[in-house]
Amino acid sequence: MKGHLAEKDIIEYEFDLVDEKRTKQIRHHLETCGQCREMAEKLKRRFASLDLLREEFGVRDELISKTVAQVRKTGESRKFLLRKPTWLAAAAAVLLVGFMLLVADFARDKSSGRQVAKDTSSTVENELAEPSSRNAEEASSDNKTPVKALATTRAVRKPAAERLGHSAADMALQAQTREKPPFAPASAIELVTLPRRDNVQITIYNSADLTLVRERRELTLKKGWNWLQFMWANTLIDPTSLSLEPLQQADSIDVQQLVFPARLKDIGRWLIYSQIEGRVPFEVTYFTSGLGWRAFYMGTLSEDEKKMRLEGYVRVNNSSGEDYADAQTRLIVGKVHQLDRIADLAKRQYPYDRPGQIKHDKKRGLGATNARVINYSLPSDSKLFSRARPLRPKDIRKESLSEYFLYTIEGTETIPDKWGKRLMSFDVNDIEVTSLYKYDEQRWGKQTVRFISFANDKDHNLGDTPIPNGNVRIYSQADTDGQLSYVGGTGVKYIPVDEDVELNLGSARLVSVEPVLMNFETGNYVFDNKRNVAGFDEIRKWKVIVTNSRKLPVEIEITRGFGTSYWNLEYRGENVSYKKYDAAHGRFKTALAPQSKRTFTYTVTTYHGRREEQANQ
Amino acid sequence: MKKSDESLMEAHRRGNPAAFAEIVRRYGELVLGYLIHMCGNREQAEDFFQETFRRVHEKAHTFTGSGFRPWLLTIATHTALNGLRKNRRGRFVSLDQGIGCTDGNCEKSGTIQVADDSPGPSEDASLAEQKEQVRGAIDSLPTRQRATLVLAYYQQLSYPEVADVMGCSVGTVKTQIYRAVRTLADKLPDWGGELK
Repeated sequence: MKGHLAEKDIIEYEFDLVDEKRTKQIRHHLETCGQCREMAEKLKRRFASLDLLREEFGVRDELISKTVAQVRKTGESRKFLLRKPTWLAAAAAVLLVGFMLLVADFARDKSSGRQVAKDTSSTVENELAEPSSRNAEEASSDNKTPVKALATTRAVRKPAAERLGHSAADMALQAQTREKPPFAPASAIELVTLPRRDNVQITIYNSADLTLVRERRELTLKKGWNWLQFMWANTLIDPTSLSLEPLQQADSIDVQQLVFPARLKDIGRWLIYSQIEGRVPFEVTYFTSGLGWRAFYMGTLSEDEKKMRLEGYVRVNNSSGEDYADAQTRLIVGKVHQLDRIADLAKRQYPYDRPGQIKHDKKRGLGATNARVINYSLPSDSKLFSRARPLRPKDIRKESLSEYFLYTIEGTETIPDKWGKRLMSFDVNDIEVTSLYKYDEQRWGKQTVRFISFANDKDHNLGDTPIPNGNVRIYSQADTDGQLSYVGGTGVKYIPVDEDVELNLGSARLVSVEPVLMNFETGNYVFDNKRNVAGFDEIRKWKVIVTNSRKLPVEIEITRGFGTSYWNLEYRGENVSYKKYDAAHGRFKTALAPQSKRTFTYTVTTYHGRREEQANQ
Repeated sequence: MKKSDESLMEAHRRGNPAAFAEIVRRYGELVLGYLIHMCGNREQAEDFFQETFRRVHEKAHTFTGSGFRPWLLTIATHTALNGLRKNRRGRFVSLDQGIGCTDGNCEKSGTIQVADDSPGPSEDASLAEQKEQVRGAIDSLPTRQRATLVLAYYQQLSYPEVADVMGCSVGTVKTQIYRAVRTLADKLPDWGGELK
């Protein structure tokens, strides 16, 4: 190739816009021509900035649900409009079946008329039980009646009595059931009964603002239709998650529907049909937000800082607007997938309002009115603010549950609205810990950072359960009287069983590292054809002074970066160990006696330009 | 076992709503990323996102059963090109997006901040400025050139695949790419290797 490449050639080469032959030519030219290579590098650097926009774009769950809902909506209207032929076919089929039924009825009426004349004492039950045999007889005697029509007649007529297998009394009751259900009153003024909450279980997730509440209440039902009103004003309950199940006599009780009367806010009414009369326990289930928990830990180091006592706590907070008295409390560790945020669902004006259309009622706020099944009143023996608490800390039972971990707090807890409660999760003594000081200018600047490490396993008296994420505060025993001094604090992420933990306690002032550049020179120059410098070495000699001003021996790890992957380090010391850490870093490790100082030196050579290739060979 | 795209589309055509939700979930990130590169604006991209999947639903019967990804990107491209043509007069800027919230998803997760290795505010600002310049350069491209470049560069489609999506020949794709890159070569700033 004569002359130099044009910018066009380089662009076409870089973006693979030319054929193979031309690509080879350009590649060859670039290998031999420094000027063109420089231009190519410049262009490449410029285009590299395009990668700044190469990000991961997470799609919000809300957007997905909105998109799916929109399509579902258009799908329904389209279904209605476009599937006319299907509807027509269905309508035609219904008409045909109806016509066949009429023909069959007409044929049977004639025969039953004859039978009634013979035996007028035939009961309704007989009539329901026998038509198939009669029809079969008739089918054989009257060839004009289609067999298919008879089969259809059997299928349609039998179920009422045979499939359900009910007695005449049951049938009378069913007849009553079939009566029109009472209209859901939308009046704001009601006279009601007050069923109390018998017990309640709350399951709080820490990864999302989500709590599952299961409460048991005894309701008095009358035979027939019953309306049951549930109110949740000033709470953060998601009304769409409400569910009601009878815990006994489920066969005789039918929870038909939950209606949200127009004009009345924060009220839902269940329509229940009961075949029995009396008190029945029910379970009400719903999701609420506003309850949360988080873990935190306190570690106390022994005087020699080789062992640690670790106390774990959980703090449960309630700002859900509802008091939970004597609740069995369960805490879930793990991430749950949520389509909508419960807090958003709870704040909608109407239970099935459009998602995202959140209306805040500033005047009301969260107050004392609680979610209840019709004006639930506190029992007279309420332990809401009881001071009678056992002195022994409660046990927290830990067990795995699918992909989550479940902590169940022993007994029950009373957590009134706007209250928080701290409970002890575990208290483990004599955890062996390793104290290590680290120095790495590229990560922490010119300061030494202190770490302590241990593992969540049996060897460290832990390892029964994962440790949930939370803040850790570390104290040290300052003297024999048990006085503590604060060492540092950090946050820990979720620690699975058998996993190592390293806690960063922040900068350490009493242990210092001071690298000093003692000498710098260049050499081994390499020249190209035009006598331009094409490669060289840089040789640096460093002295590192490590000082321990503490009254305890310390171990320290010093990481040095060289800014290139072409380097060589010479070190011949005894008390300091050295190993290559990665392509661009080396690492020294040493132990220092109390209140002592150590100095070591090393020489590092970095290779540049063509010397890089030679260094590799 | 993970269902194939084709079986999901078939299930959707039969009226299974869960199948469509799965499609949206599976390809949501791809489509949204593509549309954000096309519009340079998350809000508008989210509108186009919904419109794209609405069209996927409407055109489900035209899907022949081979190559769902290019088919989906064809719809997304048409949606974006039509939308951008209509909205040429004004650009939308999100008022909700806070400083440093480049992905629009700035809800507090409530998780604990551990070691803070993130860059400082000045580095953040400088990075944001660099991104803005690149964004501006891409936005200055004509829409078809932009779509071709985004498909080839950011979505990593081969030139024949891009041609398939854009409904043109591979030669046309290469011409569009060359023109786009030529324009960018002038407009992209050179930070002299100081790229964050």
